[in-house]
Amino acid sequence: MRVSFSEIFKMILETLGMTFISCGLAYILGLPTGILLNVTSKKGIMPCKWLNTILSLIINILRSIPCLIIVVLLMQTVRDIFGRATGEWYAIIIPLFVTSFGFVSRMVEQSLAEVDNGKIEAIESLGATKFQIITKVLLPESRASLISGLAVTLVSILGYTSFAYNIGAGGLIAGIWKFYSKNTGDYLSEPFFWIMIIVVILIVQGIQELGLLISKKIDKRRIL
Amino acid sequence: MVSILLNERLLEIKNLSKSFGEHLVLSNINLTINKKDIFGILGLSGAGKSTLIRCINGLEIFDEGEIYFKDEKVSFNREYRKNVAMIFQQFNLLDQRTVLKNVELAGELFKDPDRRNKAIRYLELVGLSDKLYSYPSQLSGGQKQRVAIARALMSEPEILLCDEATSALDPDTTNQVLALLKELNEKLGLTIIMISHQMNVIEKICNKVAIIDNAKIVESGETQEIFLYPKTEISKKIIYSGHINTKSDDSKLLKVIFNGELDMPLIANIVQDCNIVLSIIYADSKVVNDRVFGQLIFKMPADINDVLKLRKYLELKNINYKEVDASEFF
Repeated sequence: MRVSFSEIFKMILETLGMTFISCGLAYILGLPTGILLNVTSKKGIMPCKWLNTILSLIINILRSIPCLIIVVLLMQTVRDIFGRATGEWYAIIIPLFVTSFGFVSRMVEQSLAEVDNGKIEAIESLGATKFQIITKVLLPESRASLISGLAVTLVSILGYTSFAYNIGAGGLIAGIWKFYSKNTGDYLSEPFFWIMIIVVILIVQGIQELGLLISKKIDKRRIL
Repeated sequence: MVSILLNERLLEIKNLSKSFGEHLVLSNINLTINKKDIFGILGLSGAGKSTLIRCINGLEIFDEGEIYFKDEKVSFNREYRKNVAMIFQQFNLLDQRTVLKNVELAGELFKDPDRRNKAIRYLELVGLSDKLYSYPSQLSGGQKQRVAIARALMSEPEILLCDEATSALDPDTTNQVLALLKELNEKLGLTIIMISHQMNVIEKICNKVAIIDNAKIVESGETQEIFLYPKTEISKKIIYSGHINTKSDDSKLLKVIFNGELDMPLIANIVQDCNIVLSIIYADSKVVNDRVFGQLIFKMPADINDVLKLRKYLELKNINYKEVDASEFF
């Protein structure tokens, strides 16, 4: 079996689609959760032990379930939402989102924790509300760290898209596996096999480098 | 001087106490700060001065006591906080905002529509009109503190709290920032409360000072008075620390006070007139309204005849002096 360039192109789109959409969803929920984790922590601006403990617990449990298991667990949910749980690229979005949500929350929590407490006090002494502390200090001051966290998240979700193979949801990585299983004898000498791998590497490198570049560009702590 | 005439009570701290767990940090603090005062709170690290200043603007909650602002009990709402601004040792500017945006921020919090113009005006006042679009990372320490001062002024506060505001700066820059604070005090009528562990910082601009040790205020009053006649052990330690380096033997010392009336080269005269050689171990003076205030501490001569001669000479010249034990300073 051979693959055509148009098929590879379709796979790239599928991979990018599942990665970015599930990442977007993970941030829609993970960003507020990360903020909550940070502000309710012992050293946060609104310490609240019970809420912090509950959120931490949920996230820890979620993070300890392997992605493939999440895929299996959520099959019925996905079917309820999309009418089908396999065979289409979007079937993997919900499981990817659930898997990465906890990861994103922790990333955001960590990034915000890097903001120096003195800055928060300074703004507090100017009469800022708690909400203003979040929007004027915590988020903008940690923006470089948040962006590099986003790049790391994207790369890790991209890795998880391998599980699309198990539910026939397509994408590049599943495509590579499929190619191998249909050409077990000579797949290593097939140029298309290598082209697909190189494309994966390029996407990962692209995301990483772009993330790094933007993160550096918007960070005004070191300007020459 | 002006403050004595006005004597308008602005902030009053009554019986304030605070503990961190078992550890008592502030014990029954009482202070009155008048309008236009530059009030120094001096103490060694860990004495509780930082906690005290943070209690004043509500960054720290105290256990007992009250604070009154203009004779009204303070409830630490946003209105009060607008009236009490603060600057810090580490400046605490937002790194991701330009200088102008940092100062504007104070106005943003209250949706002040005129914040841009105001920020530009205050940055001009602190001498940074050419740095509006720089980022904090491009500024020197002294410039950063100026930005912080401009930011603090945005809410048109009546009181500026300075938490070791010059401790991270070199001596030259420290003097510039102190001069700026003094200028703001005179121009805007800003009342300033500053804490420091450095005597020379407090001495330079404060008209009043309180010395805090072990959670308690041990002495307070006019700066001149406290510095010339420190009463408690700890005050002496803070005021003379690092200056008196003689061994703590039992040698006698002699302390001469300049209270603005003496106008002659004292040491040179003693050497010439009495033919005694003196070794000075501490000297400090400053000129206020063209009169010299300060003190001079030197070792008594070893020869008893020289001592008698010296005493007689000082009495003759009507000089205010005191014989003290070296041990008193350690």
